[in-house]
Amino acid sequence: MSDAHRLVQVPRGVQCFVGDEVRQRRAIEDIATGVFLGWDYEEIIPPLFDYADVFSTPGLAAQTYSFVDRDGNVLALRPDFTSLLAKIAAGRLAHRAAPIRLFYSGEVLRYEPPRAGRHDELFQMGLEHLGGERAGADAEVVAVAAECLEALGVRDGVVALGHVAVFNALVDAAGIDPAARPALRDRVDAKDASGVAAALAGSTAAPATEALIALTSLAGGVSVLDRAEEAVRAVPAAAAAVGELRTLVDALVAAGLGERIAVDLGEVRGLDYYTGLVFRIFAPGLGFEVGSGGRYDGLLARFGRPLPAVGFMLGLDRVALLLERQGAVPAAAPAAAEVVGSLSGACQRRRAGARVRFVPEKGRR
Amino acid sequence: MTLTVALSKGKLLAGATDLFRRAGVPFPDEPGRRLVVDHDGLRFLFVKDADVPTYVEYGVADCGIAGRDVLLEAGSDVYEPLDLGFGRCRLVVARPRDARGDPRSSALRVATRYPRVATSYFLERGVSVAVVRLAGSVELAPGLGLADCIVDVVETGGTLEANGLVAVEDIAVSSARFIVNRASYHARREDVAALMGRLREAVR
Repeated sequence: MSDAHRLVQVPRGVQCFVGDEVRQRRAIEDIATGVFLGWDYEEIIPPLFDYADVFSTPGLAAQTYSFVDRDGNVLALRPDFTSLLAKIAAGRLAHRAAPIRLFYSGEVLRYEPPRAGRHDELFQMGLEHLGGERAGADAEVVAVAAECLEALGVRDGVVALGHVAVFNALVDAAGIDPAARPALRDRVDAKDASGVAAALAGSTAAPATEALIALTSLAGGVSVLDRAEEAVRAVPAAAAAVGELRTLVDALVAAGLGERIAVDLGEVRGLDYYTGLVFRIFAPGLGFEVGSGGRYDGLLARFGRPLPAVGFMLGLDRVALLLERQGAVPAAAPAAAEVVGSLSGACQRRRAGARVRFVPEKGRR
Repeated sequence: MTLTVALSKGKLLAGATDLFRRAGVPFPDEPGRRLVVDHDGLRFLFVKDADVPTYVEYGVADCGIAGRDVLLEAGSDVYEPLDLGFGRCRLVVARPRDARGDPRSSALRVATRYPRVATSYFLERGVSVAVVRLAGSVELAPGLGLADCIVDVVETGGTLEANGLVAVEDIAVSSARFIVNRASYHARREDVAALMGRLREAVR
């Protein structure tokens, strides 16, 4: 059999956009990057690939497309931007005083098993706030995320805030064996109270185990924090984390963003990576998150410049799908082009700013 | 905007109907052949058992009712906040009553409707396994030489017994779960919480 089918068939996971789709995506990108610029973030265009070692985010390593260069180095197509920006902030921008505010907009490549809303080629728009005072930087990043939702015209968008130290402190206090943690975390992630209780069978540290079960229902409006303070009171490190969230929520509410905020203390994904605040952005109409973010204070030290850091990103593909599902008006099509028969005439009309289609007189039907 | 609820047309339908009635939640009397039924502020989708988690994960339905066995097999990324108590069964490894020797022999052949669950169960225990995927009547497989054992759900054990099989290992206990889409849980939390609250009361 010949290989000719490869000239027609597309490889699994790739995407291609034409015309209206492109116009809609560009419009979304312009709006989001406009918000980033408005908060004084600076755009960065990082390389498409780098040494595979740079991308060591847990869980991502197995998803990278990697290849070997002529010198035998293992390289990888970027599966995310954050690692690259951390490397650049620690290296090329080493002389820059913190805080450093950077944003990006572009493709990442991941090997993804087919699942809701995921492709191998993802277009992400996001920012990183590196080296700033923690509470202020957290609040700023969530505020920027909330402003993006407004600016994009997303209806009823919600930023659900959590904190990794809540779960971590509770499992430490409950004395959970490290080998038993993934199963427990899986059940907390599913908000499955009976499953958490079953996974905890045998743990005797009562206040901590009760609080772990309570995590499955500590999600909702800002008032969840009152119940959370009560539930984790016996475990100081968890109480401190809830206190940090309280400070953040108070600042966001005072800034008029209360409507866009939710609290989810059962948010336990990305525990190996995030070190404080974690959040996911949801809106009715799309079954999965539109974006996510959090604090990752451990990452920059890997590149030799230990700075605290917080960031978030929006999936352009997901924003586009969400706006379509919410019935948003698509970006207006440009006015029809003027048909001009001579090249000199076309150039003249172009200098006047017109949109032209050049159709040589001779070729006209 | 109405909430959309995905329900199984299969064995969990009776339990779900009963639960919604007890909870005082509007529920269509007789869906008949209709697959989408709008009823008193809720939209119901009647779909195959195994498809309920898919509809909910993609957000086509905001919530639904699915067996834990189906959720384990689907590996869906959904919230499972309520154990509804009905549809109880066990997911087990069963083999012929007269089989001898180590049930975890090398190159074990397993017939099942749960290939994902069966594969990970044996691989995690260091047993290499060849999974034979079947759509039903799994109990036939060992007797006919298609497999050494089966992984399937058991309610009373009657079907196993009648086919000369005996459960040798428990993999998981299953029951019906109320599942919720991740985005709906947060972005439509008032509607979801209201429905969940009424179901929770009815389960008690």
